[in-house]
Amino acid sequence: MGKKPWTMGAFAAAVVLIAGACGPAATPAPPAATTPAATAEPGASAPAATSAPAAKNLPAVPTGYTELDQALGSDQPMKGKKVSIQTQWTGGEATGFANAIADFQAATGIAVQVDSIGSSHETVLKTRVEGGSPPDMSQIAQPTAVLAYAKEGKLIDVGTFMDKTKLNAEFPSTIGLTTEGDHIWSIPTKADVKSMIWYPVKAFAAAGYTVPKTWDELVTLSDKIVAAGSKPFCVSAGGPGTATGWELTDWVEEVLAKTEDPQVTNDWISHKITFEDPKIKAAFDKVGSLLFKDGYVDGGGPQIVNNDLKTVMDPMFNGDTATPGCWMQKIPVWYGPDFFPDRRTNGGDSKYKIGDDGDIGIFPFPNISDTFKGAEGSADSFMVFTDRPEVRAFAEFLATPEGLEGWIKTVGVLSPNVKVPAEWYAGNYKLKVANDIASGATAILFDASDLMPPAVGQGSFWTGISDWANSNGSNTDAVLKAIDDSWPQ
Amino acid sequence: MALDRTQATDSGAYGTPRWVLVASLIGLVFAALGITVLIDPHGGQNLLAGLYDMLGNSSGAEALRNGQGDQFIAKLLLAVIALLVGVGGIWLLFTGASTIVERFSPKLRDRVIPWVFIAPAVLLLTIFLVYPAVGTVISSFFDPKGAFTLNNWTSLAKGEFLEILRNNVIWLVVATAGSVGLGLLVAALFDRIRRESLAKVFIFTPLAISLVGATVIWKFVYAVQPPSQPQFGLLNAIWTAFGNKPVAWATTFPINLPAEMLIMIWLQTGFAMVVLSAAIKGVSVEVLEAARLDGAGERQIFFGIIIPLIRGSIVTVTTTIAIATLKIFDVVFSVSGGLNHDNVVAVRMFQEMFQFFNDGRAAALATVLFIAVLPVMVLNLRNFRRQAAM
Repeated sequence: MGKKPWTMGAFAAAVVLIAGACGPAATPAPPAATTPAATAEPGASAPAATSAPAAKNLPAVPTGYTELDQALGSDQPMKGKKVSIQTQWTGGEATGFANAIADFQAATGIAVQVDSIGSSHETVLKTRVEGGSPPDMSQIAQPTAVLAYAKEGKLIDVGTFMDKTKLNAEFPSTIGLTTEGDHIWSIPTKADVKSMIWYPVKAFAAAGYTVPKTWDELVTLSDKIVAAGSKPFCVSAGGPGTATGWELTDWVEEVLAKTEDPQVTNDWISHKITFEDPKIKAAFDKVGSLLFKDGYVDGGGPQIVNNDLKTVMDPMFNGDTATPGCWMQKIPVWYGPDFFPDRRTNGGDSKYKIGDDGDIGIFPFPNISDTFKGAEGSADSFMVFTDRPEVRAFAEFLATPEGLEGWIKTVGVLSPNVKVPAEWYAGNYKLKVANDIASGATAILFDASDLMPPAVGQGSFWTGISDWANSNGSNTDAVLKAIDDSWPQ
Repeated sequence: MALDRTQATDSGAYGTPRWVLVASLIGLVFAALGITVLIDPHGGQNLLAGLYDMLGNSSGAEALRNGQGDQFIAKLLLAVIALLVGVGGIWLLFTGASTIVERFSPKLRDRVIPWVFIAPAVLLLTIFLVYPAVGTVISSFFDPKGAFTLNNWTSLAKGEFLEILRNNVIWLVVATAGSVGLGLLVAALFDRIRRESLAKVFIFTPLAISLVGATVIWKFVYAVQPPSQPQFGLLNAIWTAFGNKPVAWATTFPINLPAEMLIMIWLQTGFAMVVLSAAIKGVSVEVLEAARLDGAGERQIFFGIIIPLIRGSIVTVTTTIAIATLKIFDVVFSVSGGLNHDNVVAVRMFQEMFQFFNDGRAAALATVLFIAVLPVMVLNLRNFRRQAAM
């Protein structure tokens, strides 16, 4: 598989998110900027204040893609055709995606059926595919899953109907993740930046803390917080349920990207170097020295395993963020405000604003090495299961910068397409942070565990790191050996 | 009645009134229509949209066709159709088949009739049980590329799988013995108290809860908070009240094994109690009195007389619970997905299939489970046969 490190270009124009535009997932309402007929998609139930009303989120013809040009023709040759797509996006993400495809449906007359499955997405998808009735397309987070479906012969090679040169130019750093030789098995769609730490802005100012720029400053700050009687970090292993362990694996991958050459990460993914390699072990130890240090996380390692991803940051909001019970969480860009306590329990907009002058701020994960300042990211992609003209047209639309425009401008999302104009992200705090992170990084590395064989990346790496946290990092050697032993032959 | 018979004879179908034929024909048409709706992945939506169009609610219809709108009503409609087609279809099948067979000569008819009633079950079992079972065993010998391999089986000898098998054995022994033992104890003790049925209700009620539901309940019991926070988990609230540090009951090996098994025991004790209690009540009073007259103590009566007499029921209960325990999935999956040295075969099978894309090894694990359940099934069947002979 293509596991080249992401270059900075990937996020040159990076992220986004919005404090206010997304409504509760369950409430359907017409999206802004569309004609009513073909677009009864769920939209933001809040009055979609940030969405631009008149602009059509459509690429200009000629788009560079054959079927898309046809579909967008004024005679609507594909009117009435249906395309089904399965995603695991719910809540704000589902709203954003609905906004992104609304204008396409109105303009082409193609009806897109979005099956939003949520947490059992992979299971449902696999059942549908193996059962011989797959959706026309599906979103998926793990490049390894794409390659597994490709190996089973279930996927349409998008390179057979889309311009490979164009794809490679527009997705220079992500398309390679699911490229095998001449075949391109999926189209990157939605990117995340993971190298960030969320913190309570006002409490930091009140206590006289400054945002740490280096690992040593991070440790110093943590000691200060402990001395003041609080706990520095909120960490969950990423649960609840079956997806437990990924937050901790992210920590290890982050530290590795910031201490070693990107090639080490790549060799690790391809098992050229093992988990027992001193460099990997050093990354584990470094993470352990922070998270398992007495008093740094309330309850220590075993508590990390038990903390729920959704509620783990709640103590940060103690006293309306004035008296935080924990001060820092490393979590990707999508976390807030969906999981802020008031919004999570009551729905609606969170009263806590994200921003350096708001309630919750974000700072880049501190650097460790002077040489290697890698950052961690990930990207979802679209697989195509059936080959029909309208499916091709829809896939091609999603590959254009405009394919994500409606999402970028309303709910907010980061596109892996480098042709997305920077001004689409304008005025957004998360974009600014992501830009800082992307431009400050010497390389952007794709989530390593998502590129390992699933039996490791979603299996023994998770069980191992949970084991490790349960013992507060005292059994590193045994855990690393167990993961190596489980590597598929 | 006589009139009906005449009409039926006129219509040519011996023994079947005409209205049955008419109803069958109409039913057949509706069943065919119903099946077309059921086969279409968006059948419910489209049907409701059509109804809305007829009622003049075109915006509601449009919304439905786009996968929005009154999806819940569409699903209800689909469920009603499925129910009608399913139940009605089986009725049609039997009526139709028996109508045909009844026209055979009496001798032939008597021989064929049983098959008419068995055939659908045999056919369905073959399609949905035998065929997949054989397919599973076969696919356990192939790798993802479709080449023959023994790796799926040989790899099961690795440490992580031995741990999983070990957990299954512990489950089988502890959870089964716990459920049956407690059930027997409770049944014997409750036999002697005044408010017996009320007491039984408390033990029996958990059986009405699904395994996942029970696991959610017990996760609250086992919940753990950092030492500085108040413990809302019942067990830790009690535990810390005595000055102990909070324990992560559900995620700390090896405490998590009994913690999870307790959930199963909590559910299954009620089942064991009900069956065994009925069996105990079936022991004749004369036998017990004779024993007492002969000077047998209560313990002797229980172990020497009651237990041997209800042996059949004990075997049935034990094998039933043992099978449920071998297949245990929900509890382990819902607690933490087998993350903390507590994984079991069924959960790992699911993970191999849906997360690791190792269909072959998932099939091998399914076969292991199948083989493990077989002896218990045989024991159970043999017990049934012996009871039938008694």
